[in-house]
Amino acid sequence: MTLSRRNVLKAGAAAAALPLLGTKAFAQTEPLKVGFMLIGTPNDNGWNYGHATGAKFMKDTLGDLVAEPTIVENVPEGPDCERVLRELAQSGHKLIFATSFGYGDYVIKVAQQFPDVKFEHATGYQRSDNVATYNARFHEGRAVCGTIAGHLSKTGKAGYIGSFPIPEVVMGINAFVLAARKVNPEFTITPVYISTWNDPAKEADADRAMIDQGIDIIAQHTDGPAALQVAEERGIVGGFGQGADMAAFAPKAQLTSIIDHWGPTYVQSAQAVIDGTWTSADRWPGLKEGEVQIGPYNESIPADVVAAAEAVKNGQIDGSFNIFTGPINDHTGAEKVAAGVTLTDAELLSMDWYVEGVNPPA
Amino acid sequence: MQFRLEKRREPSKVMVYATPVAAVVLTMVVGAIIFSLIGYDGVGAVREIFLTPLTNSFKWQDLGVKAAPLIIIGVGLSISYRANVWNIGAEGQYIIGGLAATWVALATHGMTGWWILPTMFVAGMLGGAAYASIPALLKTRLNVNEILTSLMLTYASVQLIYYLVRAPWKDPMGMGFPQTRIFSEAARLPTLIPGTIVHLGVPIAIVVALIAWFIMSRSVFGYRMRVVGAAPHAARYGGFSENKTIWLALLVSGGLAGMAGMLEVAGPFQRMVPGFPTNYGFTAIIVAFLGRLNPLGVIFAGIVMAITFVGGEVAQTTIGLSSSATGVFQAMMLFFLLAGDILIRYRIKRVVPAAEVRA
Repeated sequence: MTLSRRNVLKAGAAAAALPLLGTKAFAQTEPLKVGFMLIGTPNDNGWNYGHATGAKFMKDTLGDLVAEPTIVENVPEGPDCERVLRELAQSGHKLIFATSFGYGDYVIKVAQQFPDVKFEHATGYQRSDNVATYNARFHEGRAVCGTIAGHLSKTGKAGYIGSFPIPEVVMGINAFVLAARKVNPEFTITPVYISTWNDPAKEADADRAMIDQGIDIIAQHTDGPAALQVAEERGIVGGFGQGADMAAFAPKAQLTSIIDHWGPTYVQSAQAVIDGTWTSADRWPGLKEGEVQIGPYNESIPADVVAAAEAVKNGQIDGSFNIFTGPINDHTGAEKVAAGVTLTDAELLSMDWYVEGVNPPA
Repeated sequence: MQFRLEKRREPSKVMVYATPVAAVVLTMVVGAIIFSLIGYDGVGAVREIFLTPLTNSFKWQDLGVKAAPLIIIGVGLSISYRANVWNIGAEGQYIIGGLAATWVALATHGMTGWWILPTMFVAGMLGGAAYASIPALLKTRLNVNEILTSLMLTYASVQLIYYLVRAPWKDPMGMGFPQTRIFSEAARLPTLIPGTIVHLGVPIAIVVALIAWFIMSRSVFGYRMRVVGAAPHAARYGGFSENKTIWLALLVSGGLAGMAGMLEVAGPFQRMVPGFPTNYGFTAIIVAFLGRLNPLGVIFAGIVMAITFVGGEVAQTTIGLSSSATGVFQAMMLFFLLAGDILIRYRIKRVVPAAEVRA
């Protein structure tokens, strides 16, 4: 390697190495190659399943305009993901979706080396000329789940299995408990962070421990259905599917689910790259746009509770209701948001405090 | 007993070194057949996993970076296993080494100076060795099995990362993400070849393996390790203390794992994150055996394992092979290697008609 890679690329010689990979060099007339980098496997039936389904939706919608999407699974958040990103870029993918928070630094780094490749980083906050970010307003769905929890919980205590205490997760916890306390002002929630997005054994252990301490509602911001399976087994009031409908794993315990519908946003991005109109931006759609959806309600839920949940959902769709409108107190009881004031997106995206009703983790 | 005697008498050096190669070749052949039978492009899978990383020059840097920690840890483990000391917790020692180096990097944050990296290097080795001294102490004082203690300490070390990056070492600018800040320039490993990701850890891995080979084959220390492992009774008569050997084996393998941890955190990671443990310490166990517990063999084995990792990703992007396939290939390789070892031994032990062996 006497030439640096950057020089090689500048010379356009990268294409010469591609036949070694058994692929053809990319040309304008060929279908767009789109790559997806996942932290787990699509068979988690949650987060990664949602993205794989979105990839399929994109292919089904755009047909011959895009090649069969390339999905790389089980990519850890670290130097390994840098290698995968380069591999995708070098093998002719012109649009690459990196679908986990911890990929951020590496996306920015690799994107500098491949200025003609567009990168989109889910749930991230760092952008550049060819790096866009996108996310979904999961917290809107959490408000619906919290409403149900407030009605159904007998102990008034919920557990919340989180991955990392980042704003996206904190926001979900806060939205959940704010909604529940509108129904039951004594409602409390205990978050537990397990430092990974997907570890069914840890999720199940955390769930069991919290059930032993008296919670009867479980919510989770991790990738799979493990927590729901424990809820089913222990017969507590229930929990919620996250990322996808998980009723198959917990027909009794899943009260409803937050479904991520990434398909339309993937279609939009791919179309923009094909048309040459792609620009770096931050997209954050929610219930209104249909990127976040509420799955079917469990038939065990009384009709008035379903109606209350639907009201919260529809209020967020038509804009008449926002879960982050004051008055909101923080977990110590001090007023954080004045009555009538609504938190801005920027404030949400840097949220590092808990609302009243959260027992902050040590 | 018979095993050991047979192994000593084993004259065919060729077979000893041929088995790992045969294991790799068999893995490729059987892998191609199995994956074809279950409906995948089996030949394509083998080509992408084993050959593309070698033929595509873009991939060489990845091989070097991925192989380096495997080689360094694998060399340490091969020394330890030679002495029949079963350190299974290299992953934990790797983590503590990385944490010790991180501590130095954070304490010197914003400073410059050539001495920062060497200090991190020493801290990493000391950290790994110190963590390996716990199983050594328990083994020599209380006769507690080092397999169990070293393995279990790995899980404790993972929790220690989580604790440190969540509270005392958390990046103030990290949006609440539990990770340390990015190290200052002076605490990052320099890149050796501009425009690539090849860092100083890659040549260090080769040097470590060469030094270890020299010591194991030419020094009293190496002789002691080999004798204690091969013939403990003879070693005792010869005056080699068993406890001292246990200490040495664990300190050396722990120190090298800690060195690998330092090189990883200062090189590819450049900060401590919860995802720092990536099973290098466990994968290096396969590397040590695939390399015949010989430091030079470990270089070869480390590269082969790196090929399967890098190639596994190529196979995912080019032919859509699932990531689990990589694991299947790695496991097959170890299986054939161990099976091959046993076949070699048996063939020599009993003088039997060839027909029976074939059956």
